[in-house]
Amino acid sequence: MEWRHKNLITLEGWTRDELAFFLDQTEYMEELLNRPIKKVPALRGKIVMNCFFENSTRTRASFEIAGKVLSADVINWSSSGSSASKGETLRDTVRTLEAMAADAVVVRHEEVGVPDYLAKKLTKASIFNAGDGTNGHPTQALLDLYTARQKLGNLEGAKMAIIGDVLHSRVARSDMQAFRKMGVHVTLSGPATLMPENTASLGVGYVSDAREAAEGADILYFLRMQRERQEDGLIPSIDEYHRRWGATESLVSLAAPRAVVMHPGPMNRGMEIASSVADGPRSLILDQVRSGVAVRMALLYLCLGGVR
Amino acid sequence: MILLRNAKIFDGENLGKTCEDLLLKDGVVARRGTDLSAEGAEVFDLGGKTACPGFIDLHVHFRDPGYEWRENTESGAWAAAEGGFTTVVTMPNTDPAVDDPVTVEYLVARGKRAGASRVLPAGCVSKGRQGKHLAELALMAESGAVFFTDDGAPVSDAKLLKTALLYSRDLDVRIMEHPEEPSLSAKSQVNEGAVSAASGMKGCPASAEVIDIQRGIILSRETDSPIHFTHVSTELGMNAIRQAKKEGLAVTCDVTPHHLSLDETYILVSRFSSAYKVNPPLRTRKDVKALWDAVADGTADAIVTDHAPYHMDDKDVPFQEALSGIASLECAVAVVLDTWAKTGRPVPLERLLELFTSGPAALLSRPWRSLGSLKEGSPADVTVLDLEAIKRVDVNRWKSKARVCPWDGEMLQGWPVMALVEGRVVMNRLKDSE
Repeated sequence: MEWRHKNLITLEGWTRDELAFFLDQTEYMEELLNRPIKKVPALRGKIVMNCFFENSTRTRASFEIAGKVLSADVINWSSSGSSASKGETLRDTVRTLEAMAADAVVVRHEEVGVPDYLAKKLTKASIFNAGDGTNGHPTQALLDLYTARQKLGNLEGAKMAIIGDVLHSRVARSDMQAFRKMGVHVTLSGPATLMPENTASLGVGYVSDAREAAEGADILYFLRMQRERQEDGLIPSIDEYHRRWGATESLVSLAAPRAVVMHPGPMNRGMEIASSVADGPRSLILDQVRSGVAVRMALLYLCLGGVR
Repeated sequence: MILLRNAKIFDGENLGKTCEDLLLKDGVVARRGTDLSAEGAEVFDLGGKTACPGFIDLHVHFRDPGYEWRENTESGAWAAAEGGFTTVVTMPNTDPAVDDPVTVEYLVARGKRAGASRVLPAGCVSKGRQGKHLAELALMAESGAVFFTDDGAPVSDAKLLKTALLYSRDLDVRIMEHPEEPSLSAKSQVNEGAVSAASGMKGCPASAEVIDIQRGIILSRETDSPIHFTHVSTELGMNAIRQAKKEGLAVTCDVTPHHLSLDETYILVSRFSSAYKVNPPLRTRKDVKALWDAVADGTADAIVTDHAPYHMDDKDVPFQEALSGIASLECAVAVVLDTWAKTGRPVPLERLLELFTSGPAALLSRPWRSLGSLKEGSPADVTVLDLEAIKRVDVNRWKSKARVCPWDGEMLQGWPVMALVEGRVVMNRLKDSE
C-alpha cells in the first residue's frame, strides 16, 4: 500500500484498510524492539522535534525512543505552559521551528486545534498530534487498537465499553474513532455530568449504569479520573464514583469470558480502578505502554518516508 | 444634486417592478419618478439595479476608544460605506466604555469627521459595563446615543436591567440586550452539541441564550418598556421572541449574516479555524433554518453584522486562544444575498431588504426613523445593489483594519455597488459591475 499521510492530526481521514496496514507495520516495528541491538538506520539524518507544551512523561519518552531506534535525531523542545503564558505567540514558535528545518514536529498542547494550526503553518515538516486538549490523542488510540488486536485478533463485531470521564477525555474521543472504524461497537458509561451532550453524533451508545455497559463486553476501557471534577461539582464524591463506575472485580466479572481491561495511564488506583483489576490477569495496561513505542516507530517511519 | 437613473426602487416596503429615477437634493430625496431631469445634477445610470434606503447596521464594534489598532471610527465608517451600510450603530464595549455623554459626543464628532457612513453610538446600560450602577442614560440620549447596551456581555443583574428598562422608557432609546446566561456559558468555546462532543471543548448551550431572553421578556412586560435582543442564534430563542410578539409585547430582535449562513460544522471542517469563532457560537443547521423562518415570518426585525474586527495577533492563533468575533462589514450584505440565493430564495427579496432598511430604522430614536424610507423628503441615504454581480471576497482590499474573515477568497453573488449618505457618494463600484 502506498502511504498517503504526511501528518497525524486526527484518525478521522484514515480508512479501515489504512488502519489495518498501519497495525501490520507496527508488528514489524515491535520485532525490532525485541532485538538485542535495537537501532536501525531507517530515519538517519532526519530531525524530530518533540514539542511538549503540556507535561507528559510516557508519550514523550515513547516518541523519543521510537525516533532514536530509527536513528532520527530527536530534540526535546523545552517549553512549559502554553505559548501565551511564555509571551511568545505560537506563530513565532512556528517560524522558529521552520528555521530549524525540523522534519517532524511532535506536539502536545493543552488547547484543542494546536496541531491543526501547526499543520497549516508548517508546510514542510510532518506534524504528529501527541494530544491536544480534550480533542484527540490519535497515537494513544493506535496503540490501544494495536494492543487489543494482538490479544483478541480480529476486532470486527467486538463490544467495547468506555467507562469514566468521557467529557474531558481526548483518549476516549480518539479511541471511539479508531475502534469504530475497525467494526467495534462502542458503548459509553459514566456520570451524565461527565458525558458529552450529544453522544449520538459520535456514533456510540451511552448507558448510565456501568454494569449494563460491561455486560458481555470484550474490551473494558477505564478512563483516568481527575480529582478536580469533584471540585467542579460534577461528581459528589470520589467514593460514590468508584462504587458506581470504578473498575472493580465484580464489574469486570460481568464482561465476556475473553474480555480485556485497558487504561491509558497514569492510573488512580482505588479511584477509577482497583489494584486487583489493574494488576489482574485481564489487564493489558503494561502491554499498552510497550505497544506505544512500536506504534510511534511505525508512524515516524511511514510518514517520514523511511528508507525503501 | 444627484440624479440616480433607471433603478428598481425599494422604498422600505415595496420593490418597484419597473425602473424609475431618484433625484437627491440638499441631503434629501427631492423627487421620485420616470424620466426625471435636473439641470446641473450629477447623473448616474443604474441600469436596472436595485436602489434601496441606505442600509442600517445596528451592531458594529469600532474599538474606538482604546483599541484603535483593531479598528477606529474612521476605518470602520469607511468599511461600512464599502459594505453598503450608510448608518452604523457602534457598540460601547470600548476602553473606556461609552458610558457618559462626553464619550458619546466624541464618537459622534469622530464619525462626522470621517465623512463616510453615519456613525451613531450606543451607550452602556451600566457604568463601565460593570453591571452595578446605571449609566447616565438621559444625558447620553441627549448627546446622541441611540441604544443602551452592555453588549459583549448581558446585563447580568436582573434588578439593574429592570431599572434600566423603567428609566429609559421615556427616553425614546431602546435597551439592547446581549442574551447570555453567564453561569451556563462560562468558558465555552463552541455550541454545545456535535462540535463540543467531538472536540471536548466547553459548549455553550441554547439554554444560555433563551433563559436570558425569557428574563428580558418578563421584565419588558413588567415595566411596559421595549427591549431588543441582539444576535439571536437559536431556535429556542426565536420561539420565545415569537411568542412575546404574539402577546403584543414591544420585543424585537436581530440576526447576523454569519448565523444565517454558517453552522457549527464549519469549525470541524475547517479544522478549528479561528475565523469561525464567535459569540454566540455558530449553532446547528436546525437553528440556522429557524433563523430564516424568523426572517420569513417577521420575528426578526433586522440583520446586523456584529462586525468584530481584531488584529491578526488576536486571531491568527489556535482556536481556543483566539478572541471571539467575525469581521464582516464589507461582505455581510453579499453573504446574506448569496446565502439567500443558494438556499432557494426562502423569503421574498422585499422582506430581506426590509431587514437592512426600514426594519432597523424603526428601532432607532425618532430623528433617525425616516432613514428607512425613500419617500420624497426622506434623507438621501441610498444603497444600490447589483443582485447579479459575482465577486470574490478579498480582505486585502478592505478599508477595515481586520483581515480575518471566514469568507475570504469566496465568490459571492449579490453586492452593494453604490452608497450615498445625505446625497453624498461614499462608495461607487458601478463601473466594476458593468
